[in-house]
Amino acid sequence: MATIETSSLGETGAAPRPRTQAHPRLRGLHFVGLLSILSGLALWEFLSRVVVANALFLAAPTQIFAAIYNLAISGQLRPHIAISAAEFAIGYVIASLLGIVIGFVMASSELGKKILQPWIAGLYATPTIALAPLFILWLGIGIWSKVVVVVFLVLFPVTINTEAGLRTTSARLIEMLRSFGATPRQIFFKLSLPSAMPFILAGLKLGIGRGLIGVVVAELFGSRAGLGRLISQSADAFNMPELFAGVLILAAAGIVMTAGFTWLERVLVPWTRD
Amino acid sequence: MSKLSLNGLSKRFGDLEVLRDINATIERGEFISLVGPSGCGKTTLLRIVAGLEPASAGAVLLDGRAVRAPGGDRGFVFQSDNLLPWRTVFDNAIIGPEIAGRTGAVEKDRIRDLLRLVGLDGFENYFPRQLSGGMRQRVNLARALAIDPDILLMDEPFSALDAQTREIMQTELMRIWEEGRKTVLFVTHQIDEAVFLSDRVLVLARRPGRIREDIDIALPRPRALAIKRAPEFVAYVDRIWRLIEDDVRVSVIEEHA
Repeated sequence: MATIETSSLGETGAAPRPRTQAHPRLRGLHFVGLLSILSGLALWEFLSRVVVANALFLAAPTQIFAAIYNLAISGQLRPHIAISAAEFAIGYVIASLLGIVIGFVMASSELGKKILQPWIAGLYATPTIALAPLFILWLGIGIWSKVVVVVFLVLFPVTINTEAGLRTTSARLIEMLRSFGATPRQIFFKLSLPSAMPFILAGLKLGIGRGLIGVVVAELFGSRAGLGRLISQSADAFNMPELFAGVLILAAAGIVMTAGFTWLERVLVPWTRD
Repeated sequence: MSKLSLNGLSKRFGDLEVLRDINATIERGEFISLVGPSGCGKTTLLRIVAGLEPASAGAVLLDGRAVRAPGGDRGFVFQSDNLLPWRTVFDNAIIGPEIAGRTGAVEKDRIRDLLRLVGLDGFENYFPRQLSGGMRQRVNLARALAIDPDILLMDEPFSALDAQTREIMQTELMRIWEEGRKTVLFVTHQIDEAVFLSDRVLVLARRPGRIREDIDIALPRPRALAIKRAPEFVAYVDRIWRLIEDDVRVSVIEEHA
């Protein structure tokens, strides 16, 4: 910043806008969000302990955290998490790669788009999760039936976003590259792909929530282990603290992964801020 | 031989006749402006010279050779800066050589020199969103110069800037041009900008676009901004304004109808 020669440039506003620190009032608002969550938990605690006062219907937050702690130290929690995480991770990676490839085919070939579009649009709108029992029938109650459900749920937002991102490449920027004699291949790698990145990342982010739903619901339909299994077992046994423990762990996983993607967006596509 | 000749250029978009029989020759090192009301096809003419748009009839000859596609002999400076937002100033400026597969130390040194020339010394690692409009246009100019073109094609590069910044950029462009004396074809709708910068102003009429008059600007160089208040300068502006006034009125009415 030492070399801003505004005098020689003679332009007002030539200096880059400095990145302003978070406004004190905004930091205050952060605090409000935390306070809101703590108040909610306190209200929940009060309702379940005093108003409902029946652990068969509603578990208090303190009971849930205790259940998580007990499941963890007894070693029961780890296999559930490991199985669900594996199902999610394998399905998510397959769906992401496949979705980017299909989206790319649809964006680059009119014929490809004509062939694939009705399927993508149709299957995206279909609640494919209802097919989970079918996949379990075909593939058994092991992890692969769940992987397939996850793939089905994650694939479409990724595909659709990739296609849209590649298609919305700015015509002005294409023209700029053409004026320098760029080939279609150079236009793709130097322009279309980076400018589609924000869309692709948004699709991947959408896929997180959908993938987690896929894991849990598929496990509810039939499984040996996994967080969905933990939830259904606990429901059968009217063990509300353990049921909520499963739900809370899933929620935490979703929040952490989504936050991870938000961070990744800041690193990979910083130009989309502001 | 002339640097650039336009021989009977015509352009139609379907039923719309945009350009009719454009003939002009431009000598090496000349600074030529194309001035006219909106709809006179001046940008289309520039795009045809750039090879971004095919002509319906006629030919563009660069050093006697017909050009039909974009090439490294012409550098285009766009109206909107068209910078890639994920690239730094330096990486934006080097894109032309990069596309041609030349990104060696020589090119990198050249880009640094060019960025210094356009007044962006020290801003190499900034991103476009961190720059003002005037500075982004400096990158736009450096990017076009980076391929060391024979001729610089500039499409209303200062039209999106505020009035003061625009005047500064005009003097900056003059300073840069004096150093290299590239042949320049400059499109603008600002008459004073055209007079200030040019050796010759081609005044276009509209619908269809055609050359109404070819005016030599016999003002001494180098020119300072103060020349805009000189009587000779004002006389040129008046003369050109009278040539296009009726056209401008019609185009204004059409655009607001």
